[in-house]
Amino acid sequence: MLEIRNLTVAIDDVEVLADIDLTLPEGELHVLLGPNGSGKSSLLATILGLPPYRIVAGEILFDGAPIQSLPLEARARLGIGLAYQRPPSLEGVTLRSFAAAIGAEDRLETEAAALDLTAFLGRDMNVGFSGGEIKRWEVLKLVLQDPRLLLFDEPESGVDLEHVIAVGEAIAHAVRSPDREGRTCSGLVITHTGLILNHVKADRAHIMKDGRILHSGDPQALFAHIQTDGYSVPA
Amino acid sequence: MTIRTQDKAQLSNEERDILHDVGFDDPSARAATSVLADREMRMALSNDLGVEILPLSEALRTYDFVQDLMFGLVSPDENEHIAMVAEHMHDPLGHFVWVKPGAKVRLPVQCFTLLETPQGRQFTHDVTLIDEGAEVEMISGAAVPGSVHKGRHISISESYMRKGASCSSVTIEHWGAAMDVYSYGYAHLEEGARRRSTAIMMAPLAHHLSRSHTILAADTNAVSQAIVFAPEGTERVIETETHLAGEGARSEDVARMVSVGGRIVNSAMLVGDAAGTNGFLGCDGLKLSDTGEIMAVPSLRARAEGAMLSHEASVGMIDSDKLDYLMATGLDEDTARNLIVTGFLRLDHGAIPAGVRMRVVEMIDQAKSGGM
Repeated sequence: MLEIRNLTVAIDDVEVLADIDLTLPEGELHVLLGPNGSGKSSLLATILGLPPYRIVAGEILFDGAPIQSLPLEARARLGIGLAYQRPPSLEGVTLRSFAAAIGAEDRLETEAAALDLTAFLGRDMNVGFSGGEIKRWEVLKLVLQDPRLLLFDEPESGVDLEHVIAVGEAIAHAVRSPDREGRTCSGLVITHTGLILNHVKADRAHIMKDGRILHSGDPQALFAHIQTDGYSVPA
Repeated sequence: MTIRTQDKAQLSNEERDILHDVGFDDPSARAATSVLADREMRMALSNDLGVEILPLSEALRTYDFVQDLMFGLVSPDENEHIAMVAEHMHDPLGHFVWVKPGAKVRLPVQCFTLLETPQGRQFTHDVTLIDEGAEVEMISGAAVPGSVHKGRHISISESYMRKGASCSSVTIEHWGAAMDVYSYGYAHLEEGARRRSTAIMMAPLAHHLSRSHTILAADTNAVSQAIVFAPEGTERVIETETHLAGEGARSEDVARMVSVGGRIVNSAMLVGDAAGTNGFLGCDGLKLSDTGEIMAVPSLRARAEGAMLSHEASVGMIDSDKLDYLMATGLDEDTARNLIVTGFLRLDHGAIPAGVRMRVVEMIDQAKSGGM
């Protein structure tokens, strides 16, 4: 579904990603592991086409077609969605009015209930939300958007233990279930804590450091390695 | 049950359509209705024993006390416009609404003004008395037919809220694109009165001066919001002055302004005259084009110890991060902008009729595409 080849990305003239190669087949869920500033969020933002990231070299293929020249909203309409780590606040734009704008009003109540967000539907997007509430809303936003490639930027950070299970189950359900047109989905999840691995069964993990993918392998094995040896290439 | 009826000529369907855009509903669905067209009070009727609604000229002859209410909150020589209205109207043109003591009025009271003559000159004076302990919801509006784009309208409004009265109101205006409009509003809230008001100033016009002066007695609570829009060629000057005159008085006055090439000046003054008062001014502006201007001037004046006054003001363009965030869900730029602008204006506020909300969104779209 997603193939990234030799991707190098800069902000202004500063290189933030270098020679990234990553393949995410249809139906798989991968996790990105790496220290702060390693380029994980930059990679997700580049896939979606968010500013200020500029592709210097390489290409991004979605369903076999290059997407790097497409604008942000066109990539979203192809079926790529991102749950932000730190989304902006939108005063006056309620969850309900947003759902109406993207044509997901009919599913809002049911999907919100699964993430314990029913009481938030009349609230302004991300205004006055706690860290955990933001993450739950970002997951709900993605579920409503119904993309085929789901990108999650640290979905469990700041979420209380009680709700981590709900967030994990919602991610697993969203990625492992077909979209509303019956097509298979894939997911790429950034995690710091690894907590999410208890709730989503990842197929593969990638370690990022200094803007490069150092190593890829079994998620549980890589996470165990990181806990003992840090973000390094296993022997 | 019709308590009092003045229905000199039924409103035409066209007139009803014009008024519908500014909140009009069939009089049978309202507690009371007044409609003033050009220089004639075309309708003044009430379906509720708790509400009396009369042409002001008739009210002056019917009730002695009305003459004390008229020009009770503002001097007839306050400024040249008010003097013009005062001198012009030997037989005053406008309505008198009286919500009787203790009345809990179930349906809204609606009052509308139409200017139907091109280059018309309309000078009106309305007096509203919400008596002790009464509760009412009011919808008022002003409009012109599509054929009228030039003219002048000057209005004076005096509102009295007696002890413990409660009122929520929505005012919507839709004047002609080349009109000059001057609105002067004065209000006095007695002890324990509560008022929640929303003013929607959206349609283009050449120049609009809206000046209001409110006095809040002890333990009153007034919340007001103004939704202001200025496309190219429109100038809106809004001046408000609120006096927290009695202990425990509270007010919140918020203006949300959007310019698409027009000029908006919002000067708001909050005066803490008494101890234990609490007031807030908010002026937020959003500029959607490189032309035009928004000027927000909130002022606070504390004259008593313990008067807690605060303000917030901001003017800016749409934040690109917010736009990207919405477009990252697949929304096109126009839809994303509309969502941000309508959110900024709080158009999903329950007090704003759904039809009006849709009309406002259309106006923003037209203004952005240069269609206004």
